[in-house]
Amino acid sequence: MASRRGQGKSYAEAVASPVPEKPSDSDVTPAVPTNVIFKLLGFSVAMISLPIGMYFIAVKFGASPTVAGIIAAVAANVVLFTYVYVAWQDDRLEREAETKKNNKKAQ
Amino acid sequence: MADSEFSPKFAPFFSFAGIAAAMIFGSMGAAYGTAKSGIGISGVGTFRSDLIMKSLVPVVMSGIIAVYGLVIAVLIAQDMQPPPTQNMSLYTGFMHLASGLSVGLAGVAAGYTIGIVGDAGVRAYMQQSRVYVGMILILIFGEVLGLYGLIVGLILNSKSHG
Repeated sequence: MASRRGQGKSYAEAVASPVPEKPSDSDVTPAVPTNVIFKLLGFSVAMISLPIGMYFIAVKFGASPTVAGIIAAVAANVVLFTYVYVAWQDDRLEREAETKKNNKKAQ
Repeated sequence: MADSEFSPKFAPFFSFAGIAAAMIFGSMGAAYGTAKSGIGISGVGTFRSDLIMKSLVPVVMSGIIAVYGLVIAVLIAQDMQPPPTQNMSLYTGFMHLASGLSVGLAGVAAGYTIGIVGDAGVRAYMQQSRVYVGMILILIFGEVLGLYGLIVGLILNSKSHG
């Protein structure tokens, strides 16, 4: 095995010469698509900032603190239902794409 | 209002206890809900990674429980002034404590429900996709428990400075 090392080159030469670029057949795209990551980041930021932000905006516009509290709670629930809707939509689109692919395979 | 029989010096203690109860118990409920449903989501994610996005709903709901506690804590904190400018009555202090305890302990109940339903529901959803609508409904009914606490807390808080 030692004779095969470097294919006629000395070890130092083999190290110095640039590594020949092999066409990589491994999948290097991230496991989670970027649009999903951005969606999750957006919802995290909305969940943190929207309810408390709505509270202070409502107080600034002259609403009583109780009304402002109710507005904050409603804002939190709006974020939740938007999330459920977006997750539902995501799943539907994915399923449609999959059935399309399967139909193509069947033809 | 001067310092009197109805507004003793220690009255603000109960208001601050209410703030702490709202925040601490609400966060405890939210933490249990997030952790327990997170275990289920991790278990599902190793087999069906495409379901993770839809399975995150209980985690978002647990976050809302903490927001309820936060709202009441902020509301009570805005009523508080240091003693020379405001001498609050003991009645107000107890009312703040009641609103904090109601939202906090209702949050514990809701978080406990969301945690257990989230864990079991997400695992069931992995094997039968029709469970999803039922799981969301059960989670919403669990969530509403926390909302009732918030409503009572808001009413108590609005009556306290009447």
